[in-house]
Formats: sequence, C-alpha cells, structure tokens
Amino acid sequence: MKAYTNTYCSIYKVALLVLLCFTGLVKNGYGQDSTATTQDTTAHEAEEQTPTPKKSKPVKETFASIWILDNQTVVVPVKGTMELDFMHRFGTIENGYQDFFGLFAGTNIRLAGNYVPIDKLMVGLSFTEYNLTWEGYAKYALLQQTQDNKIPVSVTYYGDVSIDTKADPTGTLYPHFSDRMMFFNQLIFARKISDRFSIQVAPSITHVNTVQGFYPGDTTADGKSVLEKEMHHDHFAIAFSGKIKLSNTLNLLLNYDQPITKHMTNNPNPNLSAGLEIVTSAHAFQVLIGNYRYITPSRNNYYNNNNYQDGQWLIGFNITRLWNF
Amino acid sequence: MKSKMTRTILLITILVAVASLAFTKKQQKPWAVPDKASKTANPVKADAASINTGKAEWAKHCQSCHGKTGKGDGTKSGGLKTHPGDFSAAATQSQSDGALFYKISEGRDEMPAFKKKIPDADDIWSVVNYMRTFKK
Repeated sequence: MKAYTNTYCSIYKVALLVLLCFTGLVKNGYGQDSTATTQDTTAHEAEEQTPTPKKSKPVKETFASIWILDNQTVVVPVKGTMELDFMHRFGTIENGYQDFFGLFAGTNIRLAGNYVPIDKLMVGLSFTEYNLTWEGYAKYALLQQTQDNKIPVSVTYYGDVSIDTKADPTGTLYPHFSDRMMFFNQLIFARKISDRFSIQVAPSITHVNTVQGFYPGDTTADGKSVLEKEMHHDHFAIAFSGKIKLSNTLNLLLNYDQPITKHMTNNPNPNLSAGLEIVTSAHAFQVLIGNYRYITPSRNNYYNNNNYQDGQWLIGFNITRLWNF
Repeated sequence: MKSKMTRTILLITILVAVASLAFTKKQQKPWAVPDKASKTANPVKADAASINTGKAEWAKHCQSCHGKTGKGDGTKSGGLKTHPGDFSAAATQSQSDGALFYKISEGRDEMPAFKKKIPDADDIWSVVNYMRTFKK
C-alpha cells in the first residue's frame, strides 16, 4: 500500500511539474516565437501612438480538431459550426493474421453530432455501440491563449453524461435507471508552444453510479456486485497529449492517460496512443494505435483493461466533418 | 459500302463531338465585386509570416480544387462543373486585393464562402498575399 502511495505521490509531482513548466513558458512567448519579440515591441510602440490598443487575438489551431486520439482537445469550433464524428476502435492486434490484426475482430463504433450555438460553447450527442451508450456532453472554452501571450494557456471544461441503454430483461444489471449512468468531468489546459508544437494536460474525474463488475453474477449476500464494494465510485485520472505539425495538413499526435485513483481491485490500465492526423477544410482524419477501446471517456478511464505492456494494442480512427452555418 | 462507312464515320464524329461538349467544363462567368469591397486596402503586410499563414490556409482550404500553385489543377477540380481558373494568369493577378478578399469571403456557386471557415479576416488577407506569389 505504501508503495502505491509513493507511486501516486510521484505521479502527482510529475503532473505538478508539467503544469509548472507549462506556465513557466509564459515569458518565452508562444508559437511564432521568432517574430513574437518584434511584434511585442512594435505593438508597444503602436500603443503609445494610438489611444485604443489592439485587441488580443487568440492563437490559431492549437489543435486541428476537437479530438486528439482518445481525448477531447481544448478546441471549441467557431459559433455556428455543426460537426459529425465517426469513430471506430477495432479489436486488439494480438491475434495477428487470424483476425488481421484486429481489423476483422469486434469493432466499437461511435456516431456523434455536435453544434456550437454560441461563442465558446459546444454541445453534442453521441451513440456508441458498446452497451448501446448514449452520451450528452458540453465543452466550454474558459480561457483562450492569445497571440500576444497576455493569456499564456487555453483552458476548456468538458463534461459528459453517459447512459447505457442495453437490454436488462432480468433487471439484475441495472435495478435502477440511475445505475446506467456515468459522469465525466475534465479540465483541459493547453499551450501552443510553437507553430509546430502544442501540448495539453487534462485532469479528469469519472463518477460511476454503479460499478458493473466484469463478473456480474459474483455478488455479496445483500445482492451487490463484489467489485462494487472494492472499486471507488469516483476515479481521478490525468491525460497528457501533444501535437507535432509535420506539414500544413499532416500532424503527428501523441497521448498518454494515467489513472490516479487506486482501487482495491480491477485497477484500470494506462492508455498510450499515437496517430497521424490529416486535415482538410471540412474534415479531420485521425488513424491511431492505442489501448482504449470503449470510446466513451468515463468507461475508458474507469474500465480500461487493455495493457500496452502485454501488447494489447488496437487500431482505430476518428473522422470529423464540419459545416458552418 | 462507301456510303455506309461515311455514315459510320459521321456518326462517330457526332458522338465524339457531343461527348466532348458534355465533358467540357464551363468557363467562369463574370463575378461582379461591389466597389467598396474592391477598393478596400489590404491591411496585412505581405511579409514572411503572412505568406506562411496564407500558405497554411491555402493548403487546408483551397489546394484540393485550385491546386498547389493556383493553376486550377487540384485533385477535386475534375469533379467541378466550372473550371477553378488559373490564378497565375493576369485575369486573377490584375484584380485588387479587396476583390480577391471579397470572393474568398463570400463565395459563389461551387466556390464556398470562407468567412466562417477562416473566421479571422487577417488570415483571408494572408491568403490573398499568398495568391500573389503565383504570379507568372
């Protein structure tokens, strides 16, 4: 237990260090670093000459899409944008040719529609194959990093409620409707370091109303799942993500999700993922390899049982299509 | 026999002519730009930063139809009813920055309006600056 405590203390320290590094970069200026100093000087001179200072502009394209592999990015599209998302996660690659590296194995699919009704707010609805899960979610840009570096980071809140709608004819899996619900809340901090490089840190909390064990029949005398007693309802995690721009339309994406809360049993595994992103005027295509298979963020963070150390990788893709109204 | 061959050749010629007419792209019709828009001066200096911004926006939003160098030979140009035009030619390069800005922002027919896809007007001006690099 002490070893666990030490491990997680270390993780907290690393997370804190990354956040400090994040804000420590404030003075160095963002992105177009080579021109930032000149621009600042020019802007300062201009301010002295003109009575109304220029309004700070937010940085452009910290990330090219609302998704970075398995996580939301800090990005909220412009007002009036409608988006459709198509996401697939194939089976794990372990069986090799027998199921063609998971491509012919069971697939998890998510269809989603998002809309930005007012500035900085995106709302959406999605339907995922696994457990026939519906999600309603909202994303709000609390702070936007500015080109003049007056605001050094972007901060976005993301909240997601999910409801399993799979059949339960015996009434044993979900005795109450609320047992079908999970909640996911995340604060996303991001910084565009340079024109080519953006990073993101996103701590999250998942709340699971009723812990569904992997063995639902394994219950105690009072009828509760054994795992329910051994897993906390609240689960903290933190995600680290980064984008490296390879060309104007191609990005390399990296992501790591670290569980923080320690449960008595069935601790979820971390997720490591990498992918390529192709961006066009109205689309973003992400092809990835990673460990998360559920797509629903609360379930990914709470129940991930794929372990990258055991070679349990899977291939997936995200496609987004945008319309502006 | 000879007359049959003549008829066949005539028929093939007509078919080829009809087919080539069917697959010929329409030339662009005149695009009137309001005077005020046409006379609007470009507020963004065509420096390296602006050209880079314009190039990035061009690659993302314009290249698929208009081609890498603005010659109208992008991968999607084959599916368009109207030829996207050769932006390296005088017909485009002689237009004012304001006129090009207006056309990019407002769009027409197959050309989408980009004022919402590129919400920062300065970025559209940067696209105009980048288009000037196509000049022959």
